[in-house]
Amino acid sequence: MEDIGVALRMVGVSKRYPGTLAVDDVNFDVRAGEVHALIGENGAGKSTLMMVLAGAFDDYTGQVCLGGTAVGLHSPAAAKAAGIQMIHQELSLAAPLSIAENVLAGRLPRRAGLLDRRRMLSETRRHLARVGLELDPQTPVEEISLHEAQLVEIAKALANAPCILVMDEPTSALSRAEVQRLFEIIRRLRRQGLAVVYISHHLSEVLQIADRVTVLRDGRKVATEPVAAVTAAQLVERMVGRSVSGLCARRKTAPGAEKLVVEHLSRYGFFHDVSFTVRAGEVLGIGGLSGSGRSELARSLCGIDPVDAGRVLLDGRPVRPGSYGAAIRAGLGYLTEDRKTQGLALRMSVAENVLSAVIPRHCRHGVYSPRRGGGLLARLIDRLSIQPPGPGRIVSALSGGNQQKALLAKWLAADPQVLLLDEPTRGVDVGAKVVIHQAVAELADAGRSVVLISSDLPELVALSDRIVIMRQGHLIGQLDPAEASEASVLLAANGEGKLVPA
Amino acid sequence: MTPSAPAPTRAAARPPGRARPFAKAAAAAYRYRVYLLCTIIFAVMGAAAPHFLTPGNFSNVLKGTSTNLPAAVGFTIVLIAGQLDLSVGSAMTMGGILVMGLSPSLGWAGAFGVAVLCGLGLGLTNGLLVAKARINSFIVTLGTMIIVYNAMAIYCRGGTIPATTFALSDFLQRPVVDLDPRGAPPALLWLTLWLTPRNLVSLAVMAAAAVFLRRTPAGRGLHLMGGNPQAAWYSGLHVDRYVIGAFALSGLLAAVGGAVVAAGEAAGSLKLGENSLMTIVAAVIIGGTSMEGGKGTVVGTTVALVALTALINGLSCLGAGHEVQLVASGLVLALIILYDAYWLHRRQRRRGQRKDLLEELQARAASDPPAGRGSQGAPSAPGPGREGRSHG
Amino acid sequence: MSPPPPAARRTRPPAGGRVFGALNVLGVYGLVGGLFALGCAISREFISPDNLMNALRAVTLLGIVAVGLAFVTYSRHYVDLSIPGIMALSGTVAVWALKFGFVPSLAIGLAVGALVGLVNGLVIGYLRLNPIIWTLAMMSLLSGVIRWAYAGRQIYPDKATAAGRAFLELYHHRLLGLLPLPVAVLLAVAAGGYFLMRHTGYGARLKLTGSAYEVARLTGINVRRAVAGAFVISSLTSAAAGVLLTSFNKVGAVYIGGGYDFRTITAVVLGGMTLAGGRGSIVGVLGGVAAIALMNNVMSLVRVGQFVLGDFQQNIVQGAVFILVVGINSFARRRTGGDDA
Repeated sequence: MEDIGVALRMVGVSKRYPGTLAVDDVNFDVRAGEVHALIGENGAGKSTLMMVLAGAFDDYTGQVCLGGTAVGLHSPAAAKAAGIQMIHQELSLAAPLSIAENVLAGRLPRRAGLLDRRRMLSETRRHLARVGLELDPQTPVEEISLHEAQLVEIAKALANAPCILVMDEPTSALSRAEVQRLFEIIRRLRRQGLAVVYISHHLSEVLQIADRVTVLRDGRKVATEPVAAVTAAQLVERMVGRSVSGLCARRKTAPGAEKLVVEHLSRYGFFHDVSFTVRAGEVLGIGGLSGSGRSELARSLCGIDPVDAGRVLLDGRPVRPGSYGAAIRAGLGYLTEDRKTQGLALRMSVAENVLSAVIPRHCRHGVYSPRRGGGLLARLIDRLSIQPPGPGRIVSALSGGNQQKALLAKWLAADPQVLLLDEPTRGVDVGAKVVIHQAVAELADAGRSVVLISSDLPELVALSDRIVIMRQGHLIGQLDPAEASEASVLLAANGEGKLVPA
Repeated sequence: MTPSAPAPTRAAARPPGRARPFAKAAAAAYRYRVYLLCTIIFAVMGAAAPHFLTPGNFSNVLKGTSTNLPAAVGFTIVLIAGQLDLSVGSAMTMGGILVMGLSPSLGWAGAFGVAVLCGLGLGLTNGLLVAKARINSFIVTLGTMIIVYNAMAIYCRGGTIPATTFALSDFLQRPVVDLDPRGAPPALLWLTLWLTPRNLVSLAVMAAAAVFLRRTPAGRGLHLMGGNPQAAWYSGLHVDRYVIGAFALSGLLAAVGGAVVAAGEAAGSLKLGENSLMTIVAAVIIGGTSMEGGKGTVVGTTVALVALTALINGLSCLGAGHEVQLVASGLVLALIILYDAYWLHRRQRRRGQRKDLLEELQARAASDPPAGRGSQGAPSAPGPGREGRSHG
Repeated sequence: MSPPPPAARRTRPPAGGRVFGALNVLGVYGLVGGLFALGCAISREFISPDNLMNALRAVTLLGIVAVGLAFVTYSRHYVDLSIPGIMALSGTVAVWALKFGFVPSLAIGLAVGALVGLVNGLVIGYLRLNPIIWTLAMMSLLSGVIRWAYAGRQIYPDKATAAGRAFLELYHHRLLGLLPLPVAVLLAVAAGGYFLMRHTGYGARLKLTGSAYEVARLTGINVRRAVAGAFVISSLTSAAAGVLLTSFNKVGAVYIGGGYDFRTITAVVLGGMTLAGGRGSIVGVLGGVAAIALMNNVMSLVRVGQFVLGDFQQNIVQGAVFILVVGINSFARRRTGGDDA
């Protein structure tokens, strides 16, 4: 096997989770002095593949070679020792500490037992210079901007003298100018011989910065191409493929009266001047890349987060901002993005979770009889085929798909007029996906309104009657319904599609 | 606490970025709040209380401070590591009683040695239970606090152990440069009256701890561990060792503090650590050590302790009894943590904001100022906090 | 993508689960049974009805306070360290208010306690301050206020007035000539607490709040109000116990309630409530109280030659048991694959 110049080679790597094969026999290699982008939809396996590289699992199969030598990446320490450095989306800095202490964490220079301040500061300045930062190394991290913190994170990774640098969605929260600055740094690192793996959803960026791009789909590698030889449209095609989605596209019934009207809604710094309307019986899809502000919009809409300007009307009546409880009573519901930390109380039973949004409904004079919700509970468990069906089961024992179904059941039980769904089938097996989609379609057919936020393109396209696109905090327009397709959504989300005014 | 958003029918809320003229001053006031507090207390007490600003009284204030200082330093260290040590009061009591109880048989050096070793042992026990048995530090130190206190109660049979000789006590309490208060010039008195070996020991402890926390890799590692245990782990730090070490230091220092106080007062009593816990906790928090861990200084703790002691002292100069002092220190603590919470809330509100969107707002507001409130100056740069990601 | 956890992620559940699973289920009543057996083994006096009645009487007030504290722990807000202060304040104010009559004095005493609980609840629930630090500060404040208000003296119910006599009688009063009032209060409070926690909307909301605060918030539950309510409940039970204790001691003083903070936490934690919140029950807490009663009783019956377990020694044992039980609980929970306290 020719390994000259190849910094990383993964051969036949697979990782199985209970119930799903997240990474399926993937071959992936990166050369020294190359930026290799890794793209794919959510659930395609990019994150898992990189977690294997980071040493997060001790039970992956396949071989990983670094610089020609096979290594076993069974712990984060092993990965670090092998010269792999990851830059995660969530920064791993300690906020109260200074930049210098974060960059040189664990390797603070000493002299005669004491900290060698001068060397610490000068070394830090050197590392910061590599990323083009000219901050005072003694500044506490909590006082610098997010962009600067990210650069510090990169400097920290570089300080460990890695041969492979993995960057996971580094530009989610950066402005255009900051992204360009980051690319400058990446190019400089490339010239210095570093191998960089760049994971991103933003195709325009990938085309700008990467040398080669690998597309993953459903855990398998679909293609590896030099960037010069592909266009965004071709990449989209590869990402989206001709996967048989097995989804039932809804019979699109004519939508009814206006249910939800959003007028010039803004939350400064998160999303600005968003306006749209949803009718009864309609499913409105909101497409966009990570960082475009969709979840923030949904949260502010429902009153979970504050609103700085604009208003929301439900059935013609304004929704009181800032109170989620009031919004739920008025008929809104929001299915959160992360079922484990935001949606379900993992230590409690299915019954308790499903009935948790409607506790007042089963109270009489303050006395709570969950048994009165027993019928509703049983119907929902049956309708959504939650397995195992016992309502007393602790939610954490359920599989991901069943957990998600339980979360959906919770909001179906609340029977809102307008239900906002945020990534309703993330991390869910195909069977559960079908059930969830069916339930959503039935909900709309029954005259309710649904707002669907999803990065799962087939789902978005199949379920939505209309699709609007958000990009960098603005609602930039609506897709022409005649041309709505997975490819057009992705292109539009990247700023390249054709849109009509919303 | 979600702040109430403006009603939808009102004109749009003011976009951020309007330079608040007092923003910088407010931020500085927040950062140096403990010094501000100390100055205010001294000023108020100096003006209102008779005999407050005299060398003799000042010496009293410092003596009171040095009583609690070593234990407070230990508590600071543990809090920086992200844990809670409620047993510091009992450790002080233990130090005091053991020193007095054992000195007749072991001599002062021996008694001090045993007291210090017992403090260390207590700290190690706490640390092991928290780090290895993974029991919440609140539970562990609450339990050991009870155990140690009652053990000491048994040992001294519920009473006080007086000293048999007073030479050591004398030595500890007498200023190093002993001047006749009546004949000496006031300036010199100010400088020397409080320079007792007892105070110097506390000062030395504080200085050593300050150097340790600020200047040694281990000290900085402690901060890292308290600030972000996962990052510390990734950087190769032995998190468990740091936790055990922090508790060990705390127990050791508290015992030392108690031993010195008891030797100085020529009596070891169960009451020694009783009131100290509250004062110590208050001082550490007022002094700026964060309850989340990763942030704090012993200098801040010391200044806060001086401020609190001065407050109590001033109140007693004014004739107020013990009760008012309790109320006062409880109130000061309450006010400071409320103030802290307010600042934290303000910072949280802006977390996750995107700079380019804010800049856009700036630009738009600058180009058309209809409400007459165009933005002036740069937007307040949002801090990244611990998580700096925005959802999609 | 989130950074991988410190240990390489395990995909198989840990071993030894079944033994500790059983321990979890048995819970505190296993401990009670064990102590009972120990008591029988140590001394023949143990089994006598008088002895057992004494043991239970000793913890009646503890039980009342523990039921209230259980709500605070259930809400994942640790503990209320101002309990002794609330007890003392309520008792002292009640004695002072005897001049308004017997019943009004009780009402005023309880109201004052509830007011403190309301302040605690607002600060911790709405302003989100650390409960340990805040309630410590509040304890100090209360202690100072009581001393200040009465200039350090103790106040005595006036035996000359009917109200005063009624107050002194309060603790020893027997309902229907049979049931001691404190026990009746305990039963009422326990039943009420049980009902509130298990069968009301508030209880359901509190459980969710304690188990997963963020999830509860994102389900539209007013989490701040729920937490504030828990502190009010705790202060009410403390106030009631404080009034009864003052009646027992025949004096209103600042030291009333001393030691109750630790003993109540021990009872609640022994009873199976974890600091992580959302877990446990009033029944368990009562078991914890019973366990403490038996533990103290057994310890006081220990007589090996000259060796007797005095107050201090008993406290030491209690402290050790406290740490041990929490340790075993969290170890067991981790072994069975659940989360730890």
